[in-house]
Amino acid sequence: MNPRLPSKALTVLRHGSAIAVADLAAVYTWKTWLFGWLVRMLSQVVFFTLVGRLTDAGHNEQFLVIGNALMVCAIEATMVVASSAWERSLGTMPLLVAAPTHLAWTFIVRSLQWVISGTVSSLVALFTLGPAFGLRWTLNSAAAAVLLVLLTALGTYCFGLALAALVADQPALRNIVSNVAYLGMMALCGVQVPVHYWPQPLQLLAQFLPLTHELEALRGVLQGAPVLRILGRAVLGVITGVGWLAVAVVVFGWAARRGRRTGAIEFGT
Amino acid sequence: MRAFRAGLSLQAALLWRSPGNLHVLATVPLYTLILLAMTDASHQAGLAPNAIIAPTLMALWTMALFTAGDLIDRDRHDGTLEPTVATPAPLAQVITGRICAVTAASLIAFAEAWVVGLCFGVHLSVHHPLTLVVGILTTSLTTACTAALIATLLVLTRGGRPYQNSLSFPFYLLSGIVVPIEVLPHWVHPISRIIYLSWSADLLRSAFRPEEPRQLPMQLIALGLLAAAGLACASVLMRRVLDRVRILGTLGHA
Repeated sequence: MNPRLPSKALTVLRHGSAIAVADLAAVYTWKTWLFGWLVRMLSQVVFFTLVGRLTDAGHNEQFLVIGNALMVCAIEATMVVASSAWERSLGTMPLLVAAPTHLAWTFIVRSLQWVISGTVSSLVALFTLGPAFGLRWTLNSAAAAVLLVLLTALGTYCFGLALAALVADQPALRNIVSNVAYLGMMALCGVQVPVHYWPQPLQLLAQFLPLTHELEALRGVLQGAPVLRILGRAVLGVITGVGWLAVAVVVFGWAARRGRRTGAIEFGT
Repeated sequence: MRAFRAGLSLQAALLWRSPGNLHVLATVPLYTLILLAMTDASHQAGLAPNAIIAPTLMALWTMALFTAGDLIDRDRHDGTLEPTVATPAPLAQVITGRICAVTAASLIAFAEAWVVGLCFGVHLSVHHPLTLVVGILTTSLTTACTAALIATLLVLTRGGRPYQNSLSFPFYLLSGIVVPIEVLPHWVHPISRIIYLSWSADLLRSAFRPEEPRQLPMQLIALGLLAAAGLACASVLMRRVLDRVRILGTLGHA
């Protein structure tokens, strides 16, 4: 193995992260983030939480506000599918494929802006809307929530990255895949209804998604569940996230090889 | 009328060739499934219409906001706005035709939501079919007029574009498309009533209730007025925008 490879990967990761930060500043100003994006996401949390009032089950509101507040970072992290496709429309994809490094290193970090923005959005939702719907925070539970939200955003980002790799050749599908992915998670991972509401095969599918485990851990924190149980779920979430990251690295490799062979990597939207 | 038809067929062809523009329709079954599960619609039949109608209205609004709302600006960006304006055909007719094609495509959402409901074991009874048909037609009309206004506003106010993505859930929440606006604080009600979705949701839901839809005339008047207001504002703004960009020479400025 070439000893220069790790340092090369690190250089790519560093430059890719710089692009992510620059993208964050290009996509939002503090005004558009605060009064546009954040208002939209907080409205979504309230919208779904209030549905609990229709079913005469007021206690559902805490279940719903936790799930929907955490869902916010999962939605943003899934935007990696769309932003990975931007390289194609910008015309930089062929250059990345031609570069003497693994294609995946760039994509792993170039959309981290969604993790940053998603984590902050989710935390704002948990700490501002949560108390309005009956959540009570302590210093310890708040600290645990910060960590769990970050892990959720990162884990879901890895899942989104794998999807981005799968649709690398089909950039027109980016929005469909991204939307279906986050709505699928919203349905299956216990955000709106408990995971056991769904048939057995779908329950099994939910176990492969980081959000399912991190959400269970967060609910455990707020309900005073044993620390070991919370840790166990959080670790399961991390393991599934790492699994999706491995899938993404492999599939990006396939996409690059296939693109070189067929000449299919070009400008496109 | 030829310009209207040309706009209609052009947009239909564009939608057919770019399935990405119809991505909203891919979200409808999932939103329906989520809302049906949340409201336990298979056991609480009274809530099923809310869960079926809401994703339909969400799809209509989202398509109006993004696909129809982006029409003029995208043409401008692609460089096709200048030749379109230069032709003898009135731009308003072409744009109206295109917006109608987008709105018509959005109506697929209703069938999608209905089918998901059936698969979920929800069999909706339409107690007032005429109300349902009139409700769908007036909602489509008002959506098209509102989309025309959005499209014009987005060209006029470049600064408004970053907020485009933010006009979804705040509007769904305020218009009570799932949770009736009575659940919201009183001071919100006047704002809710300015949003046409609130009237549409009430009207469409009333078609599924056994009681007579007594509010129907008022709902139709409200939707008609909001549609007329949207169209009038869009026409005035469109004329001003075109006059301005012609004088400034920035019609093709992307």
